[in-house]
Amino acid sequence: MRRVAAAALAFLFVLADGRPALAHGFGPTYDIPIPLWLYLYGAAAAVVLAFVPLALFSRKERDAAYRYPRFDLFRVRLLRKILTSRLLTGGLRLLSVTLFFVVVIAGLVGLQSGFNIAPTFVWVTWWVGLSFFTASVGNLWPLVNPWGVIFDWAEGLVRRFGFRDGLELDERYPEALGIWPAVGLYLVFIWIENVFSGSYVPRNIALFALAYTLITLYGMAFFGKETWLRRGEAFSVFFGLLGRFAPTEVRVKDPDVCPGCDGCDDDARGRCVNCYECFTRAAPDERELNLRPPAVGLGLPEKVPPGGAAFVIVVLAGVTFDGLLQTPLWLEIVRLTPVTQTLGTILLPLLFFGIYLGFVELSRILGGERGFRRFAAAYAFSLVPIAIAYQMAHYYTYLLIQGQMIMSLVSDPLGWGWNLFGTADFEPRYGIVGAGFVWYSQVALIVAGHVIAVYLAHSISLRLLRDPVRAFRSQLPMLVLMVLYTITSLWILAQPIVK
Amino acid sequence: MIVLILGGLFFVLRPESPSGVPQDRTFDVSIEGGEMSPAEISVNEGDSVTLRVSPDEPMELHLHGYDVEQEVEPDQKARLRFEADLTGRFEIEDHESERELGVLQVRPR
Repeated sequence: MRRVAAAALAFLFVLADGRPALAHGFGPTYDIPIPLWLYLYGAAAAVVLAFVPLALFSRKERDAAYRYPRFDLFRVRLLRKILTSRLLTGGLRLLSVTLFFVVVIAGLVGLQSGFNIAPTFVWVTWWVGLSFFTASVGNLWPLVNPWGVIFDWAEGLVRRFGFRDGLELDERYPEALGIWPAVGLYLVFIWIENVFSGSYVPRNIALFALAYTLITLYGMAFFGKETWLRRGEAFSVFFGLLGRFAPTEVRVKDPDVCPGCDGCDDDARGRCVNCYECFTRAAPDERELNLRPPAVGLGLPEKVPPGGAAFVIVVLAGVTFDGLLQTPLWLEIVRLTPVTQTLGTILLPLLFFGIYLGFVELSRILGGERGFRRFAAAYAFSLVPIAIAYQMAHYYTYLLIQGQMIMSLVSDPLGWGWNLFGTADFEPRYGIVGAGFVWYSQVALIVAGHVIAVYLAHSISLRLLRDPVRAFRSQLPMLVLMVLYTITSLWILAQPIVK
Repeated sequence: MIVLILGGLFFVLRPESPSGVPQDRTFDVSIEGGEMSPAEISVNEGDSVTLRVSPDEPMELHLHGYDVEQEVEPDQKARLRFEADLTGRFEIEDHESERELGVLQVRPR
């Protein structure tokens, strides 16, 4: 195992060409860095506003995390009919698998430079677009995950031909491994996105997608579909994390289906929130699809598997790394030290993790409670809103402008001069949002994410410490950590763009 | 209270908007070996911009976002004229090679 890891690492270093050039799957940025005064203003606002959530609540309730207003969309007859119709769910699944094959085929046989649907669809529509959708609407990935759908179809086919056991071998998954496979795969993905210089060459995208397909199908067959999707499929874990922020949740009323499900938490005492496996198993009238306040899902006391906190930190660091690569500071670091882009992909999460654990330990000492691991696992989620806000601030103009390219690309996915839907000549519109609006919205987003994060951390500390005074004390280090992370995010947006 | 602090801070920090009226701005731009000099042209929203371009080889300039295109040739100061009404950062590229030569930055008022 260690040898495999060493070999993989060596392979990564060989691939890294160390060019500081911007290796990114996206087109040019149209944003101007935020001006210094606005950066300072945002930083000041982050510090001032950090104390608002603390002042707002100092109640102590055992179950506070589960008490939030909800509205079950399934209670509206029409919505229920539409949302549960096989036409919609089956259609989305079919669409997802179709798009997956279109991307792979376009990558393999389509035009390699210029017009090709693969880079824009994967990096803009899917990666940025679906992330935004998941965080701001809800997590569709468990429904449309193309590897899950393909596996289901294959399984159905195999059973129809009389193989009762289906495709799953159901080998025992080593529990100590937790979600570390997903952490590793996600790191590789971040490396491809930010460092690998061929990340927007269509053929590379197709080859990476096929390799990942092999890994995922094999993992699902070997350990069972549910187990692998929960622990090894990086995107299921990633979108699941964003889905905790989303203003919607799936919920099972009657937890009879839950025993034995490793997604449900023992601590939840008969509640089953955002466990898609249970949701699928439950009888239709036991299901709820709730609207809820955003971000409350990150404060729920769900079970965190080994590697859970590490995954969150890798996501946080990855988001920052993406922006950091375009700053003059990073160019200097690459010039003056032996740190390459590839090394940075690994070092930055380690640095983040070290800083995070340090602050958690401080918080724990001030709170006067034992159980470092429990603290480290729980607090990681409270930082997610800052990362989501930063990601949105950083990318929403990309999505608005580069995202329009998909209009023409669907008509000519391979670059062969087709015009399937008559939109091949669509010209993207620039200047939908002015630079001034972009500045203010970026700062507002980041500061809002910061306030939510402080609120979450405080409610998590109330849950862990069960005492408002100690919780307040334990929050001071977390406040500092969050102000630091927020100011770093703002700072990156204020940096001049290097070519 | 907090609204007051933040509101006050906003007006203290916010600078005067750059010179109230739109201006006519003219830049002399040379292109050598695929590099524009100056590499970045910075104007304010609403300015009337003229670029006098002298390249080292014939090429077709393309200003992204504004979709201004202009054939330019050595020893011939071609003029690229446009109103800077879109704010943001726009690439100036050689249309044939799609190589980035430099950047136009239009700051909002």
